[in-house]
Amino acid sequence: MNINAPSATRLDRTLIALADPTRRAIVERLRGGGEVRVTALAGPFSISLNSVSKHIRVLEKAHLVRRRRAGREHFLSFDPEPLEAALLWIEAQKTAWTMRLDALDAALKAQDRAAAAPRKKGRSPR
Amino acid sequence: MTTREELTVRVTHTFTASPERVFDAWLQPELLAQWIFGHTGLQEEVVHLRTDPRVGGAFSFLVRRGNEDVDHVGHYLEIDRPRRLVFTWTVVPAPEEGSRVTIEITPRAGGCALTLTHEIPPAYAEWVKRTEEGWTKLVEALGRALAS
Repeated sequence: MNINAPSATRLDRTLIALADPTRRAIVERLRGGGEVRVTALAGPFSISLNSVSKHIRVLEKAHLVRRRRAGREHFLSFDPEPLEAALLWIEAQKTAWTMRLDALDAALKAQDRAAAAPRKKGRSPR
Repeated sequence: MTTREELTVRVTHTFTASPERVFDAWLQPELLAQWIFGHTGLQEEVVHLRTDPRVGGAFSFLVRRGNEDVDHVGHYLEIDRPRRLVFTWTVVPAPEEGSRVTIEITPRAGGCALTLTHEIPPAYAEWVKRTEEGWTKLVEALGRALAS
């Protein structure tokens, strides 16, 4: 399990993609499942198709939205994987710190044993 | 409702060593070398462990994983031996802003208890705040993940 850099970088991309209300609205519409035409998706938004397309590209770069081309039609669908990755990042941090504290505990106990050993050795044999 | 409190990683551990020994293990490189890496299941080799243990001082824990060098850097925000240690924590080459780790140590009979709180990166906290209304289910899932 990689607990560090790559997942944190991806987390950043996910967060930036979702920091905008229009992009969150797009994701909300796609979260119902299935594929939606780009033109159908853009319909309810008061902004231009061009602006919606820019937002969709940000979501694609964050791997939250997948695009399938069929002739001249573009279909979009939602990919939940990056959100799951965000949750995994948090869980991985927890696991890593738990393991480190266990290792610290073991190291301190090993120091105690090492400190006790020379005194025992120093005693004259019975 | 999700609170800031739930959006942190919190781990506690009880030690049979004194608060001073547990505290010093976080700041002295020769002590850090005994535990901070090599126990998370990753194949890693410590390149260096450098600390400048004063408020504002920096640290760098550099490890090599395969062909990749991964540095863990930060600076100390609070040093109150043996009770409290606060530092920023950033893993390079991740471009994220540093998250913050707080270590609190309380004496117990025969040892001490340590609570580690790792606050999520600021961008993440901001995201959760903004999405609190529309993304209730996701935030609930996040809370469950953190509580587990």
